[in-house]
Amino acid sequence: MKAEIKVELKEGVFDPEGENIKKALHLLGFSGVQNVKLAKVYTIEMDKEENVQEMCTKLLTNPVIHMYDIRKG
Amino acid sequence: MSPIKVCILRIEGTNCEQETFDAFLELGAHPEMIHLKELTPETLLEYQCLMIPGGFSSGDYVRAGAIFAARMKSRLFSALKKYVEHGYPVGGICNGFQVLVELGFLPRLSDHPEACLATNDSARFECRPTLLKLENHCAFTQKMDIGSIYEIPSAHAEGKFVSPYIEELMENGQAIFRYVNPQGEYAGYPWNPNGSQYSIAGVTNEQGNVFGMMPHPERAFHIYQNQEWTRHSSTAGGHGRLVFESVIEYARRL
Amino acid sequence: MDVPVLTSNEEELKEISRATGVGLELQEMQQVKEYFQRKKRNPTDVELQALGQAWSEHCSYKTSMPILKEVLLTIEASQNMVVVEEDAGVVTFDEDHAYVIAFESHNHPSAIEPYGGAATGIGGILRDVVCMGAQPVALIDPLFFGPLDYADSLPRGVKHPKFLFSGVVAGIRDYGNRVGIPTVAGQVCFHPGYVSNCIVNVGCIGIVKKEDIIHSRVGAPGDYFVLAGGRTGRDGIHGVTFASAELHENSEHESRSAVQVGDPILKEPLIHACLEANGKKLLSGMKDLGGGGLSCAVGEMAYAAGYGAEVTLDTVPLKETGMESWEIWVSESQERMMLSVPVENVDEVKSIFDGWDVPCTVIGRVIPEKVLRITHKGKKILEMELDFLTKSPRYRRPYTVRTIHPVVPELEPPTNYNEVLLELLSSPNICSREWVIRQYDHEVRGSTVIKPLNGKIGYYTHGDAAIMRPLRSSYQGLAITADVNPRWVELDPYWGAAATVDEVCRNLVSVGAVPHSLADCLNFGNPEKPERLGDFFQVAEGLHLVASAMNISFVSGNVSFYNESHSGAIPPTPTILGVGIVRDLRCAVTADLKASGNSLYQVGTAQEEMGGSEYYQVRHVTGNQIPQTSPGVLRRRTSALLAAIEKGCVASCHDISHGGLGVCLSEMALGGNHGVSVTVDDRNLETALFSESPSRWVVEVVRGKEDEFEHVLGEDAHRIGAVTDGFLTINPVINLPLDQVRAAWEDTLWRMMG
Repeated sequence: MKAEIKVELKEGVFDPEGENIKKALHLLGFSGVQNVKLAKVYTIEMDKEENVQEMCTKLLTNPVIHMYDIRKG
Repeated sequence: MSPIKVCILRIEGTNCEQETFDAFLELGAHPEMIHLKELTPETLLEYQCLMIPGGFSSGDYVRAGAIFAARMKSRLFSALKKYVEHGYPVGGICNGFQVLVELGFLPRLSDHPEACLATNDSARFECRPTLLKLENHCAFTQKMDIGSIYEIPSAHAEGKFVSPYIEELMENGQAIFRYVNPQGEYAGYPWNPNGSQYSIAGVTNEQGNVFGMMPHPERAFHIYQNQEWTRHSSTAGGHGRLVFESVIEYARRL
Repeated sequence: MDVPVLTSNEEELKEISRATGVGLELQEMQQVKEYFQRKKRNPTDVELQALGQAWSEHCSYKTSMPILKEVLLTIEASQNMVVVEEDAGVVTFDEDHAYVIAFESHNHPSAIEPYGGAATGIGGILRDVVCMGAQPVALIDPLFFGPLDYADSLPRGVKHPKFLFSGVVAGIRDYGNRVGIPTVAGQVCFHPGYVSNCIVNVGCIGIVKKEDIIHSRVGAPGDYFVLAGGRTGRDGIHGVTFASAELHENSEHESRSAVQVGDPILKEPLIHACLEANGKKLLSGMKDLGGGGLSCAVGEMAYAAGYGAEVTLDTVPLKETGMESWEIWVSESQERMMLSVPVENVDEVKSIFDGWDVPCTVIGRVIPEKVLRITHKGKKILEMELDFLTKSPRYRRPYTVRTIHPVVPELEPPTNYNEVLLELLSSPNICSREWVIRQYDHEVRGSTVIKPLNGKIGYYTHGDAAIMRPLRSSYQGLAITADVNPRWVELDPYWGAAATVDEVCRNLVSVGAVPHSLADCLNFGNPEKPERLGDFFQVAEGLHLVASAMNISFVSGNVSFYNESHSGAIPPTPTILGVGIVRDLRCAVTADLKASGNSLYQVGTAQEEMGGSEYYQVRHVTGNQIPQTSPGVLRRRTSALLAAIEKGCVASCHDISHGGLGVCLSEMALGGNHGVSVTVDDRNLETALFSESPSRWVVEVVRGKEDEFEHVLGEDAHRIGAVTDGFLTINPVINLPLDQVRAAWEDTLWRMMG
């Protein structure tokens, strides 16, 4: 069993890493880059059914700034 | 009068425990470094103060302080809750502050975090001297003066305090320290090294006994740790010492 | 698996060396063949790999050691306790304590994968200090890259200097900060010679109670070998043989596995557990697993004590299944330490490591005969006499010493000195390093007394050396600095090396420290080319000249050859790490100006010797007359200046180096946010302002102490002006508002790195 959890910043939360990467890309000459957003993807392999939702609320996200998306497969 | 017993909690990646330990020791307290897995609901009650020092607990790999907090929560949450309700002081410095926020102990007790120490606006680790203005009192500040400015250095990559309840916190007087410039004004970067809302550097809970701050008072214990000590002739202690003196005094009166 | 060495001819031996990746030369393969002929069998693949590790230049110093022993390592200093023969040098700190120095290169891995390569460099140097029983207290990282604005096409497989620079800094930051040891000193240098080969040197200083010093050798037969820390994997295979060959365009693909992956959050408890077990006197020996992995650690530990070892690979914890025996034996997976433990202590050692959640496993024991024997899955896979295995060949390779014909360029004096000074201040090799320094936690552990950036809150300048307070119970400090000017060494290896030691001593004296010991990281090209080895020889002689006069010796270090690719070799880069003793750190001095009205003095005078100077660089001319350090003069000025500091005459002090007097004054002014008004000899203004002649300082003298200062320094010091406010004024030619000076100096790296 496998779950993929994508954690990203909520809309409107400032993403300094993304901003800095954008700046770096501009410096490298990619002048067309308009926006860079960072997300973390956790790929979790399990040998029995686990509550992935709870993993998100207990550890993987802080609801003040994060939203998440779970994909099972 | 027996010395105050202080529990300095650590796990892998905690790395400011020695200087935190030394600070308490030099002030006559009885600090002990305890690994999280050794602490039980029963042994917790042997201590009159709980400190979570700085560092990169578990590498800060999910989010700063998140793994430490999740591990504490799974074993000690209700014991800690009682400990706090009894009025014992709980302090978190830097990573320890992040842990207390992730744990739902700051800015107030809740099941889910009600604040976040997010990535600095500069997106960089920032190691620099910072100036803090004391705004309100809590268990960790009794020996300091409201309105005064204290030099205590910062070193972190995730220290931007944000909360949807920020206005409420300000009204409640829960903002303890705020970053200022040498003129005492709430100024932007680099004086506020991370972009915190309201330039917040440290907050307390509603009862005033749980306290977290990003800057490192244990690195401002002696005057010779100050950024500009060679420019002055004073040999008085560093400003951070007052934080430790305050909480020892508070714990003694409990 | 046996390797058919006995029946192979010369060509086939070369092919075996190449195909197995062991990197042995033909004559070495022939020695191997002779040895196994006597044993009447072929070597196993494990044996051949073990020899490849042990005999690599990186592990054995087979080319460099004969020269170093003859030229450089001859200085005796009474404070030394352990010199060169172990992973780190040990030097007396006070009656009960010693400090430990280790200094290494991590060049090739950083060129391929800058983030991981630099991070594991930090990891490795920490282990070198810990394995002497010491608590690490400071990290140092001199770095060398191609120009950040390099715009020509890059050789295939070579990464842009900007990418390398930011990757290396991030690697050091993320590892060093996480492991909780402050990074307090270093150097960043840009030069076109490093485009294809960046240089990443890492140093570490530790402190240890003399009674806790432990050695990299086993105790007695019967002791267990205990492998502690991380699991062993395929990462970091052939790191040392990789480090002992030139980089080429496919290095990236072939050598990924030579780059180890670091885990600072395993290292941090590993350090605690090792030091705890050692502090309880449970260990008989300790060595880090670095270059060569288990192969080098076990063999060298046993051999150093005159014994042998029997080891099984069956109990080695692995990261992945299906690893070959030889891969396990030579893997350089990070975060591992080898302990030798008397039988009766094994259980207690295990429980200490359990307490820290750090794995530790018994993998073998010490035997009386000097033989190494390894088994895996019931089979004997290696059996060799340690006299053969760890006693690598020694080479006296041919070298040619270059002759230098003096070149002095024709140069008109500049029309605008203000512009020249601003250009110097903003040049990449002079400008502010704040971009780097603030990313490193330089204060964790709370013992950094003089930080890498000095100055008034809100302002800053570069300090000459950091000062640590390693013991909370004492005000004795350790000053730390690192330096080299590769442009000088490139023009003239002998005098360039001499000037490097001069600068290191100058930096230490600037903060009030007595130079006490040195470590060297000697980065060069391919030593099989006689002219490269000639440079190496001359550098060793130049280092010796000044160090011996100052009565300090090289207690630790490393040689990194083969920093070369088809586009050429790096400039010879002998990076020197210097440690000084500050008797009372409460008397330490910083570089920032303190108060208007104080007098400014120059110690020493500028000479017309501007080859390799920053001034020539900005004027786009070349010359090769570099400064020739006079060790006697350095010695005299050093003791006089230290005496003046001890008497409390000195308010601030900064050494004169890159960019000369003009830059030195500017930096002092910026840190204190004060101006200066200075007058110098105007018969040769360019020299007076921009020469980089060694053994010089600018000193701000406390008001009222001028006579005392002049008395102590005698002829060596001249009053040049006074501290003022707001403006930098020198003769009539330079007059700049401080803000303009600051902008020129501060912006360069921020602009280039974002």
